[in-house]
Amino acid sequence: MGKMNKPGQKSIFIIAEHNENKVKPFLFELASCACKIRKHCPAEIKVILLGNETEKLSSEITHTTGLDTLAIEINELALFNPEIYKKVIEDLAAEFLPSFIIAGHTPRGLDVASGLAVRMKAACITGIENLGETEGKICFRRQIFYGKIDAHVTADSEPLIITVQQGAFEPFKPENSATGKVETRRVNYVPLFTHEKGIRRSRFQDSSISEAKVIVSAGNGIGEKENLDLVNRFAAVFPGSAVGGSRIIVDRGWLEYRQQIGLTGTQVAPELYIACGISGASQHLAGMRGSGFVVAINKDPKAAIFNESDVCVVEDLKIFIPVFIEEYGKKTDP
Amino acid sequence: MKILVCVKQVPEPENAFIIDDSEEWIRPGTFSYRMNRFDESALEEALSIKDRYKAVGIDVISVGSENSKDVIRRAIGMGADAGIYIFHDPVGYVSPFLTASFIASYIKENNYDLIFAGAISEDSLQGQVGPLAAEMAGLPCVSFVVKQEISQDFKGIYVERELDGGLVESFELALPALLTIQGGINKPRYPSLSNVLRANRVKIRTINPDLFGKTVPMQGKLKLTIPQKRRDGHFLSGSVKEKATELIRILSQKSFIA
Repeated sequence: MGKMNKPGQKSIFIIAEHNENKVKPFLFELASCACKIRKHCPAEIKVILLGNETEKLSSEITHTTGLDTLAIEINELALFNPEIYKKVIEDLAAEFLPSFIIAGHTPRGLDVASGLAVRMKAACITGIENLGETEGKICFRRQIFYGKIDAHVTADSEPLIITVQQGAFEPFKPENSATGKVETRRVNYVPLFTHEKGIRRSRFQDSSISEAKVIVSAGNGIGEKENLDLVNRFAAVFPGSAVGGSRIIVDRGWLEYRQQIGLTGTQVAPELYIACGISGASQHLAGMRGSGFVVAINKDPKAAIFNESDVCVVEDLKIFIPVFIEEYGKKTDP
Repeated sequence: MKILVCVKQVPEPENAFIIDDSEEWIRPGTFSYRMNRFDESALEEALSIKDRYKAVGIDVISVGSENSKDVIRRAIGMGADAGIYIFHDPVGYVSPFLTASFIASYIKENNYDLIFAGAISEDSLQGQVGPLAAEMAGLPCVSFVVKQEISQDFKGIYVERELDGGLVESFELALPALLTIQGGINKPRYPSLSNVLRANRVKIRTINPDLFGKTVPMQGKLKLTIPQKRRDGHFLSGSVKEKATELIRILSQKSFIA
């Protein structure tokens, strides 16, 4: 760590993402992470909000989180533009000298984090899931080797830019009802190389998966498309169930997009989640960590999903599911 | 029109990864490797541009140990024209800053109109090399692209990417630019016989990264641990039938099934 300033002089930036005039609730998880950092390194937290209509959003942020918000009004910015974000946050960082900049481990967060790191000569650690302290230095935990190993990366220098894995931190609950301050500034920046071409809702959102009591989910380990039928039959055993899947299954066209669970799909929290042939990459875990009870079936005993499960079944699902259905049939229909 | 595609070899997920005595990296092993799937999708996007416009050349670049050449050869087998291999094989963890700075140095010395990289590598999921290299080389960058369409004059490119909740945002970038590609957005082609034969004959240009001058890794040391369980993690034992019966018992006790 660099030279220690007096508490209060340091700052932590949180970059807020927003769409359709709403702040992403993920901000509360980033705020939790910021507060945890603050325990190791006293600093003021500032939520950085960029947009062309920030007033409603910034007051919502300060009211719900109690944190200070620095809103930057940019006429040229409709929603998100990596070129504008990097330039404006780089300038803010030069002024406030934040010790940490926190963004979501999302496409937008990753657009900004690494680029800013180069500009600020800062270190950058992405996809962090927790943090702690070793030998007086903050260290961040992230998955490597498909989630089979945790790496604890020490922050050797300041400033440090991090992106936070969704679902890893409990959403932030403000300690009191105090409202933070909003500071609004106006900045002009005409992008030279990257131009926004709008945002649209491509595939309709289906609420059935987010409201299902039980989700049976298929991953790469199901092997052939035909085995999806097994997963469907398995799901039929559970009242109020829905079938979901990881990104790869959806990309192959085996399931519809509305059934995709994970970082770029739907985030779900059913009472029971059954992961079939899912390895447990953090992209997927980000979408299901809030589940009540988790059962995983995977033939690889070292699969990362087992660390996130209440009950672990090391079996080939093609063999296990038919046996389960048969045994269950015997029980209910003696 | 010249396109560069960044590819990486990743160990297959089924490999056993064992932490070594220093706890800073894993024990060397005889792992099976393959091309990162995100990079395969990135290469397929480049090949689709070449299919459409004949005057397109595709180079692939990889940074890593000697067997990175295997993924370069596979890429040539799939239809890339030439390969560049940057030899960098230190023991232990390699910071994405180093990998990116080598690629950026190469980009700066060679003229490419478009650079593709996989959005993340499957094994470490950092998502950094592409955006870092873009910034170091002074190029605009959008990550996690799911669709691209290059303008007829090759001066710009329209891209789309998916956010959560079914939203799609789109941008137009001036070329040269770097795009990182989401995995699974296309069906990467299989190597063709004629290309595989060519891949075996073709000389891969090897670069010693020392030529690029001093680079700073920017990340501290790692300490590796076995992931802690976030839940009970109760492993069922016995035969398949016994495990199934036990799971039925647990789930009925919790009233998920009758």
